[in-house]
Amino acid sequence: MAKKTMTLNLTDAEMRVLEMLCEQKQMSKTLLLRQALRLYQRVEERLEAGGKLFIEDESTKEKSEIMML
Amino acid sequence: MSRDEGMEVSSVFLLDNQSGSMVDAELWDAITEKNLADWEADWIPQVFDMMKALKQKGVERSLWPQSRHWHWSDKVRAVEERLSNQCFSIVCDDVTQAMMITDLTRRAQLEGQKNNHLVYIDFLETAPWNRAGLIGQPSKYSGAGSILIRAAIELSKLEGFCGRIGLHSLPQSNDFYAKAGMIDLGVDVNYQNLRYFEMTPEQADEFVIKGES
Repeated sequence: MAKKTMTLNLTDAEMRVLEMLCEQKQMSKTLLLRQALRLYQRVEERLEAGGKLFIEDESTKEKSEIMML
Repeated sequence: MSRDEGMEVSSVFLLDNQSGSMVDAELWDAITEKNLADWEADWIPQVFDMMKALKQKGVERSLWPQSRHWHWSDKVRAVEERLSNQCFSIVCDDVTQAMMITDLTRRAQLEGQKNNHLVYIDFLETAPWNRAGLIGQPSKYSGAGSILIRAAIELSKLEGFCGRIGLHSLPQSNDFYAKAGMIDLGVDVNYQNLRYFEMTPEQADEFVIKGES
């Protein structure tokens, strides 16, 4: 599939987070940002359909809602 | 063949079980209207014929094709605008031989790779004439399922997931995934009590090497 190139302007703090996540996930910046876009789209789709996003603690089963813009 | 513009096509081979020779086929990185037309016009009637034959033989319903309720048109429509889902199909003799939908937003469950990204195989099905055993007939082509597993592994590598893949298996396919080298993590009570299988990067490399030898 044809791909397009873009320039992304990030602050130092944003770049540090991006690099930290790339290190953690062993992924390139491009791949990590593509994955983030996929996840963002899925979350938006669920929220627009009336869903809520929760994080569940595996051990306690306690759920906390994540506020989304 | 009716291909979609921008779709990637790879050359693959299937084993023609009647002649015993390898035949040319194409792996598409999409499920197109052509594939869905084949499913509707060719797969569904054959699945119905298969069910009639099984009923006549007195075979209980739990042993009928377990994917018979899968509605591929609905499944493809549900994901077509999503970046997170990648579809694949295999075409040979101008007829769709297998289809697969993957999801790139799931995480691994296996200790050692837990919470890492993987390619999750949402649905994988071969054409009814490529399934051996259900009514005692030989399959027309072999290899379509393995080609799709390989495609999922390659996608996983391409996306930086190192070859990790996972799936929930219908009971009739458990042996296939176990033989493919995937680790059986047991019954998932949160997913229709289906068994969950996962493949590590090392197992993915072994699968690829095995397929090439």
